[in-house]
Amino acid sequence: MHVLRIVDLCVSVDDKLILDKFNLEIKSGEIHAIMGPNGTGKSTLSKVIMGDSNYKVLSGKIFFDDKEINGLSVDERARLGIFLGMQMPLEIEGVSNSDFLRTALHNRNDDFKLYDFIKKINKTVEQLKMDKSMIHRGVNQGFSGGERKKNEILQMYMLEPNTIILDEIDSGLDVDSLRIVGENVMKYYCDNKPAILLITHYQRLLDYIKPHYVHIMKNGSLVKSGDASLVSLIEKYGYDEKLLNEGTSIIKEKRENE
Amino acid sequence: MNKIILENDEVVAQLDESVVYELSYSDLLGVNLLKIEVFNDTSMDLVYNFGSDVKLEVQIHVNSGVHLNLYEKVVGDKAKVRTKYYLLDDSDVVVSKFDDVRVVNEYVVIMLLGMRAKIKYNLKTVALDVLNYDILTYHNASDTVSNIINNGVCIKDGRIKFNVSSFVPSGSKNCDVSQSNKIVNLTDNECVIKPNLYIDEFDVSASHSAWIGSVNEDSLFYLMSRGIDRDSATRLLVKGFLTGSLDIDDDKKDDIIRRIDDYWR
Repeated sequence: MHVLRIVDLCVSVDDKLILDKFNLEIKSGEIHAIMGPNGTGKSTLSKVIMGDSNYKVLSGKIFFDDKEINGLSVDERARLGIFLGMQMPLEIEGVSNSDFLRTALHNRNDDFKLYDFIKKINKTVEQLKMDKSMIHRGVNQGFSGGERKKNEILQMYMLEPNTIILDEIDSGLDVDSLRIVGENVMKYYCDNKPAILLITHYQRLLDYIKPHYVHIMKNGSLVKSGDASLVSLIEKYGYDEKLLNEGTSIIKEKRENE
Repeated sequence: MNKIILENDEVVAQLDESVVYELSYSDLLGVNLLKIEVFNDTSMDLVYNFGSDVKLEVQIHVNSGVHLNLYEKVVGDKAKVRTKYYLLDDSDVVVSKFDDVRVVNEYVVIMLLGMRAKIKYNLKTVALDVLNYDILTYHNASDTVSNIINNGVCIKDGRIKFNVSSFVPSGSKNCDVSQSNKIVNLTDNECVIKPNLYIDEFDVSASHSAWIGSVNEDSLFYLMSRGIDRDSATRLLVKGFLTGSLDIDDDKKDDIIRRIDDYWR
């Protein structure tokens, strides 16, 4: 059982406050979805959890299994088992997917076995309906938006994380690719029971990946939390005040209790 | 596959009928001259291994309509090389070049002499000490195309200077001139790029770029987010930068990667 806990996190970029006393706890076996208007800090949250130095943590703490990880480097966090599927995966010239993943697995595990690696990557590429030649092409080089997202899921399968953050993994995907990505994330979840944090704008991804908790984020903090039924209210009201006043809110209740 | 290996003053060649060469020893200035002529479409490896302070001029003449895929590898301690390419009508040359020499003074002249002559010159170099490159391209005929790509990485005591000039005289119409120069500097040493375009004709498409900096932090973040430590991620990015756009087979890429790995040991 792993637990990612974020406590009163305040983060700024270029002196602008992006995350404002953000709190969240995610455990193995739980799927959380964060939704919210553009520019509210959702992607910032994912990058900060991963340790991106472009963001300044002003106060607050991030714990992984009760160990504070604020001081850990990006690679150290990744080796704990935290994985970030990025919204816009970068193109890296000249570094092939297989070299990249082999290096990553070597860095994690001295007991790396090439035969097992080849067997697994071939199987996963097939499962994701990717072109086999992509294994030997530069990371995301010449990939379409959909291929890049599938490549993120391929990396997830190969690295076997225990805590997964997927930042708008559905953007740029056609209907078939969305289904493949969604089903494969769910398959990984069923097989491994990781903690998953989904950041998304659309209900369509949640047709495939069923969240246990849905949170609404506004102005850098969670303003309402509920179960999957909250998604249909978002569809109905958008993110305006009506929605925030509708039904119960875990966050509201918590604040009221405080 | 044609191959010429030059070890200081010694030449070993494996050539078919499409290529001839001639090596003349030391003129008055002490410069050896290697003259190569290419008659038919072909590929060729040109490997220079400089153990001592050798001065060399290489002239590569490419006949009309000939396509040449040339891989040049320069290794050793000190190299003073003048390389001149002469391209006639409709010739098409792709140069993939990797330099791994401690001290280099290299002077490259590309003469696009015939109509529609075309060259892609792709240089990759690793600097451990002082590397000076002067690369001059002359578009002396209409409809000629040059695409000059210079990528260098500075490590240890490395310093790189790219002085890259492209010339289009009046009367050479519809030429396409492109320069891209990039140095990844992993030291505090000074590096210089001078990307010059001397255009004396209106009907020309020309572009140039120059970039000096460390490895891209966003790329580092992406690699490190998969558990790769900073040093290994930097090395991966450097290897990609030096091999990514080269038109060479995997064996040659592996050879370059092995050489880069040696510097991190």
